[in-house]
Amino acid sequence: MGRRRRRRRVDPADAARALPEAIAALSQTLPAGPSPETFRRAKFDRPEAAPAFWRLLFCVLSPQLPDGASASFSPEAQVRSVKLALRTQGYPRRALAQLPDDGSQGGRELLLALAWLLAREPLPERLLAQNRVQLGDEMHVCECEALASPGPPAPSVEADGCVDIRHLQWLMGKLRFRWRNLMASQQEQCALLGKIHSYTRGCHSDRSLGHLSVTETELLRDPEGGRQLLRRLQRENARLQAALEWRRRELVFWQWMDTVLDACPPEASQPTFLPRIPTPAAGALEPLVRELQALQGELREAVEARRAAWEAGVGGRGPEWSAARTALREAVGQDLAALRRACERGGSLAQPHGPRRLVRTEAGAPRGPGLRAPEVIEALRSREARLEVVLRRLQGQCRQELARLVGALPGLVWILPPGR
Amino acid sequence: MSIVTVQLGQCGNQIGFEVFDALFSDSHCPQGLCSKRENEAYQASCKERFFSEEENGVPIARAVLVDMEPKVINQTLSKAAHSGRWKYGQHSCFCQKQGSGNNWAYGYSVHGPRHEESIMNLIQKEVEKCDSLNGFLIIMSMAGGTGSGLGAFVTQNLQDRYSNSLKMNQIIWPYGTGEVIVQNYNSILTLSHLYRSSDALLIHENDAVHKICAKLMNIKQISFRDINQVLAHQLGSVFQPTYSGEGSFHYRRNPLGDLMENLVPHPEFKMLGVRNIPQMSENSLAYSTFTWAGLLKHLRQMLISNAKMEEGIDWQVRPPLSGLPMLGKMSLNKEFHFNTSIANLVILRGKDVHSAELGAFKDPALYTSWLEPVHAFSVWKTQRAFSKYEKSAALVSNSQFLVKPLDMIVGKAWNMFASKAYIHQYTKFGIEEEDFLDSFTLLEQVIASYCNLGF
Repeated sequence: MGRRRRRRRVDPADAARALPEAIAALSQTLPAGPSPETFRRAKFDRPEAAPAFWRLLFCVLSPQLPDGASASFSPEAQVRSVKLALRTQGYPRRALAQLPDDGSQGGRELLLALAWLLAREPLPERLLAQNRVQLGDEMHVCECEALASPGPPAPSVEADGCVDIRHLQWLMGKLRFRWRNLMASQQEQCALLGKIHSYTRGCHSDRSLGHLSVTETELLRDPEGGRQLLRRLQRENARLQAALEWRRRELVFWQWMDTVLDACPPEASQPTFLPRIPTPAAGALEPLVRELQALQGELREAVEARRAAWEAGVGGRGPEWSAARTALREAVGQDLAALRRACERGGSLAQPHGPRRLVRTEAGAPRGPGLRAPEVIEALRSREARLEVVLRRLQGQCRQELARLVGALPGLVWILPPGR
Repeated sequence: MSIVTVQLGQCGNQIGFEVFDALFSDSHCPQGLCSKRENEAYQASCKERFFSEEENGVPIARAVLVDMEPKVINQTLSKAAHSGRWKYGQHSCFCQKQGSGNNWAYGYSVHGPRHEESIMNLIQKEVEKCDSLNGFLIIMSMAGGTGSGLGAFVTQNLQDRYSNSLKMNQIIWPYGTGEVIVQNYNSILTLSHLYRSSDALLIHENDAVHKICAKLMNIKQISFRDINQVLAHQLGSVFQPTYSGEGSFHYRRNPLGDLMENLVPHPEFKMLGVRNIPQMSENSLAYSTFTWAGLLKHLRQMLISNAKMEEGIDWQVRPPLSGLPMLGKMSLNKEFHFNTSIANLVILRGKDVHSAELGAFKDPALYTSWLEPVHAFSVWKTQRAFSKYEKSAALVSNSQFLVKPLDMIVGKAWNMFASKAYIHQYTKFGIEEEDFLDSFTLLEQVIASYCNLGF
């Protein structure tokens, strides 16, 4: 591991304390962090350590759940969710996948998994950023957050026997109504936010913001709310301190993790602990490049041959034909351009991701930093238009398929559903 | 969240007035049988939904009034203003000088497009007054001229412009022996168009309400006002505030959405019927007491025997026994006219509402095979009594209630169509025979789907 440095002479008593303190700091930054004693038990694969670590990994890997929501998931559901999430992220050790679903075993493997996650990315910092106290009214402009995490797996319902299609239609209809209700609620929220922002114009000490957010307004109205906010900020501060503490002390944790790995039974065919990016040997790339070039050449030849065959097959001479051909070429060119645009990452704005604070400005006020709503709306509109095109194309395909089915069964009368 | 009501035609406007009046009277009723705080929360919720506030404090109904002649609108406006308790907005109405002679096609193809901008602008203004829009309630008749044709056009427009908002049409089903000779044509055209553009059709049958007035309310000379007041009572018992969930004491914010999600998610099954219990004149009310068990027993039997009111219920009708072979089940249904439900919503208002036992409504035998009672049955509650009834229950049901009346109307319309009677009145204004055929196809499909619920 690349973290070894020349060791200083340390006082043995300090050395004994250093590990539990490092673990305690780490634990404070994590949701549902276990005690240092539980970590120690996990190293020795004590069964009492397993549930705490399953819970910890569940909270860490499904961060979009609100506090306390993890209680609504059964232990088995939590275990399955953790296994799925780790597999999705490419966790290499098979032993974890083989642990029983009842969450009764596996402290050591889970400890290794936690260390793996910690090594891959700055996990405490990421969690802190995600759960930070928000003072402003915020919303996400990009969709990365929603798309990245698949969320906990829904319990699969076994359909015994045939499912009546009317029941499915019923459920679809319910879903549609709930979408509409959601939209109405969101519109109401926007209207009310707008009202608060315009009523509190000029109240904020920060001139660049100009007005209060909901949290800030509540702060002024309700002193108890202010005290609760203060407590949340204090807790967050404590966690930040813990994160700094962890960064200072983490070396001793990694040295200890080496011993944990050594404590594992020496089974054959266990892949290396940390995923290592193989450095290519000097001459390893040459044959690859040559092969790629050869394949490219073959592809080019095949395309030429096909094109010649098509042109010969289509035939046609004369001015109308060349006019038609140019028109076709143009249409194809447009389609390709549209396809290329569609493949580009959603016309995303070249701005950093993450939530943004909503600020309402007066018309004609000097342009502040940050993203303007009309730009966002424009980007979303063009994305919507692209999705509409895709939807229409898919609907057309469905219609063609239906027409084909209709033709296949003579003597059948199709009545289309009422719609306009 | 707020509901915008569109009152269309003579029928829609007269009923609309009674609805707002009933909602207002109930929310200010002193006999709510609950604490002051609860009452205030109820009032506030009702106000947010149906009324907006003006400076001098008189609540203004969130409504747009549309009619092709001025008489009924003027009457409605003045009746509301006269009461001094609530009123309609000054600029919320649209009317013209001429009628449309009960001609559906004229209402749909001429009036609609001609006045589209003005009407939609009025609606937009009303929508902008809402902090958040729950959806639209469109009150109209099915068989008249202006209300039905224009109503179909307006609903289509709402679908185009407010595609995410919820739309429920309150439809007045005409008397079987109605006066308008082309009422069956109008009915099928209205229904088929609304089926395509509305989310839910809450249907009130004139015949049924008439019987309620005669038998239950003991009214000798039944006027349209009496009928409309019974209708308003039914609608009020559905749309007044209820708690948002089991054990909650906050009022539901999204009544239209919750109702539709539970009752009409399937695009082929959009027809809803309402039943109320108890329903009686104010004089009798003072001498009556009820238990939840008794009320719910009657309501359940009204559901399964397709009774329109709590008198004259056929107690012979029983749910089919499970375990019988399919064919046996079908013949039983045919004999005893058992009404199969897709989904039901029961709304309970009043004293000790939390003690009401609803197990009998969760019997799987009541429901079609492809939906389990846990998904098919829902209940809304509030302790706050409705309109001086110490205990009252309402049932909104998506079931085979309306199969027979619909089948009758379609049959009669088809007979007329087969001999092309009066078709020229429609083709004159752009409604072709093709449109009639499309309507017939759609409604036959709806009837068939509802009939197949027994399987």
